[in-house]
Amino acid sequence: MSIWGALAGGFIGTLVLTTALRAANELGLTRIDLPFLLGTALTRDRARAKALGYLMHLAAGELFALAYYAIFVATDTSGWALGALLGLLHGIVSATALVNVLLPAVHPRMGNELTAANSSPLLEPPGFLLRNYGRGTPIATLLAHVAYGAIVGGFASIAG
Amino acid sequence: MPQALSSDNGRRYVPIRDYAAIGDGRTVALVARDGSIDWLCLPELDSPSVFAAALDADRGGRFALEPEIEAKVSRRYLPDTNLLETTFTTGRGVVRVTDAMALPDAELGPTRELIRRVDGLSGQVPMRWRITPAFGYGARTPRLERRGVTPVATDGPHALAVCSWDAGEAQVADEAIFGRFDAREGSSALIALCAAHQEPLVFPRREDVEGRLEATSAYWRRWAGQRAYGGPWRDAVIRSALALKLLVHAPSGAIAAAASASLPEEIGGERNWDYRFCWVRDSAFTLGALLELGCPSEAEAFFWWLLHASQLTHPRLQVLYRLNGGERARERTLELHGYRGSRPVRIGNDAAGQTQLDIYGDLLQTALVYTQAGGRLDRETGKRLAGTADLVCRIWGEPDSGIWEVRRESGHFTHSKMMCWVALDRALRLAEAGHLPRDHESTWRRERKAIGHFIETRCWSDQLGSYTREAGREELDASLLLGVLLGYDAGRRDRLPRTVEAIRRELGRGPLLLRYSGDDGLRGGEGAFLCCSFWLADALARIGQPDEATALMDELVTLANDVGLFAEEIDPVTNEFLGNTPQGLVHLALITAAVSISNANAS
Repeated sequence: MSIWGALAGGFIGTLVLTTALRAANELGLTRIDLPFLLGTALTRDRARAKALGYLMHLAAGELFALAYYAIFVATDTSGWALGALLGLLHGIVSATALVNVLLPAVHPRMGNELTAANSSPLLEPPGFLLRNYGRGTPIATLLAHVAYGAIVGGFASIAG
Repeated sequence: MPQALSSDNGRRYVPIRDYAAIGDGRTVALVARDGSIDWLCLPELDSPSVFAAALDADRGGRFALEPEIEAKVSRRYLPDTNLLETTFTTGRGVVRVTDAMALPDAELGPTRELIRRVDGLSGQVPMRWRITPAFGYGARTPRLERRGVTPVATDGPHALAVCSWDAGEAQVADEAIFGRFDAREGSSALIALCAAHQEPLVFPRREDVEGRLEATSAYWRRWAGQRAYGGPWRDAVIRSALALKLLVHAPSGAIAAAASASLPEEIGGERNWDYRFCWVRDSAFTLGALLELGCPSEAEAFFWWLLHASQLTHPRLQVLYRLNGGERARERTLELHGYRGSRPVRIGNDAAGQTQLDIYGDLLQTALVYTQAGGRLDRETGKRLAGTADLVCRIWGEPDSGIWEVRRESGHFTHSKMMCWVALDRALRLAEAGHLPRDHESTWRRERKAIGHFIETRCWSDQLGSYTREAGREELDASLLLGVLLGYDAGRRDRLPRTVEAIRRELGRGPLLLRYSGDDGLRGGEGAFLCCSFWLADALARIGQPDEATALMDELVTLANDVGLFAEEIDPVTNEFLGNTPQGLVHLALITAAVSISNANAS
């Protein structure tokens, strides 16, 4: 088991996750766009937001890979199957809390439960299970995260 | 002149003449005189529609905005802009609606944004609005729901938000989003239709929407002010330039032939085509007009789009390409009612697969115009264009479908042969100027002479006193006017002027021209083809009849609709517009005719 393997898996896994969601986008299953959502937290400029968003998403992917690695070390187990299981959990948390609740709470341009008449949020919030972005969003997000987790777990164990 | 608008709810189809266009360089909305937006495709002009009431009043979807009581309507574009201003004068007051597709700014805004501002000018006018989105050419019923207070319509990757301020409470019911309000003197209501494609919706703030509306107006005024035309018919020329700019697909530089699909050339007939593609044939006129009007960046973008798109099929050219440069244009029919029952409703265009020999002449003429304006061709491009000339030498003797894309067996169309002559003539000129390799000059010269011989011996009729539509047939064709415009010069000097006179005599209907006499493989007839009338004015100026040309042009520009736009055709009896609108080729022909006549009068 190796931290460098987990980091490499985090990098590749994030690329795969982003590509999978992009493909789901093209297939008309969802309108979710994580780099756009992340980048617009920092800037109103669309092009810059997407570029920054991709970098932020990659950084987040590496941080989550480190968190996965900590669990692998704590349980003294790794591999693609455990990674995929963690990815499933990660996806569920993302859809129900992380992107659904936490992101709107900290995103300066997105509405949340505290939004009232004195503010005008610019961005459509994701809603429970991110379904505001299309009914296919939960399943696409879960599958993409399972793939991410499997890649992180696989890379961490290969390197070990 | 204001016209009465009834408050009748049984609205079906409005005359094609009633449509004005607004756009943002990515898509175009058609706005009827009664304030209804009956055509809008998202996110691009060649994407499926969200509003297509022009093609199916029941299922197409539209965005109605109108007084609840009877009103007289007058319209105009805000001077030198593509912002449409519709004024409703009622018994209870006057209200003005300003419509625009917003251009993006530095603020975070929607992917596409259609803005409608309603200003109360006097009295108190009850207004109503109703949006019935119908994605996928009316085939898909969207989910209507709310995000907070904002109504949204979603369908797969597509989403629309309806953001409104002082326009009454937005309600959601019966597959529609709607509201009503009173427009009082001094009041200003705002409705923004905000579209997202494959991403979350952006809900703009009122001040941002108003800022973009002002900035969009300022951009159009600035753009129109930079156009370098000071000749006669300035208003018509600048309006044409603005209409063409709406048809330019901003990311690629391609120019769509028209903003709509399947508006009929004959009411109730089958001549219903999708014009949301870029035709190679229009390229020479496009580049020439853009350069004449001082649009070098648009001209450059268009020329490189043309080279990029044609690279896919080199050395053969496809008749038309997608706006993004792609070659697939598969034609299919939709289960829609059709404009006043005109079926089939087609999208895509199978003309893409036809053989049309004239387009090679158009490509090489475009390259010549580009280089004459100071453009440079790199070595690779020069070799490709030389390859095109070589191809013309091999295929000019084959039959083709001709400029009018007849859907019957191919023929030997005179105009196609003339354009093959033009292709080789321009290749020789480009080679002499050092832009093309000179290896095959002798072949090009020999074949140019052979084409000229074919035209002069097989395509001239002593009986008609004119070149004919096809070799060996006694029919006329207005496209032969292009022989004058593009400088076909292989025959006796009197033949083209005599052809111009014969076309005017036999195909003329007042100031208008029919396209041709004879069969085209389709049932029914059609109106007068407007671009041909402008070509006639242009040709008259070039053959030394500038007074005739001026008089004709004076008549033609009055045939535009109330906001200065032209559809593809016009009924010579009723002046009803027919076919897709606004049509780029008509506006291109208007511009080039105005420039030609201006030059002829000056000399």
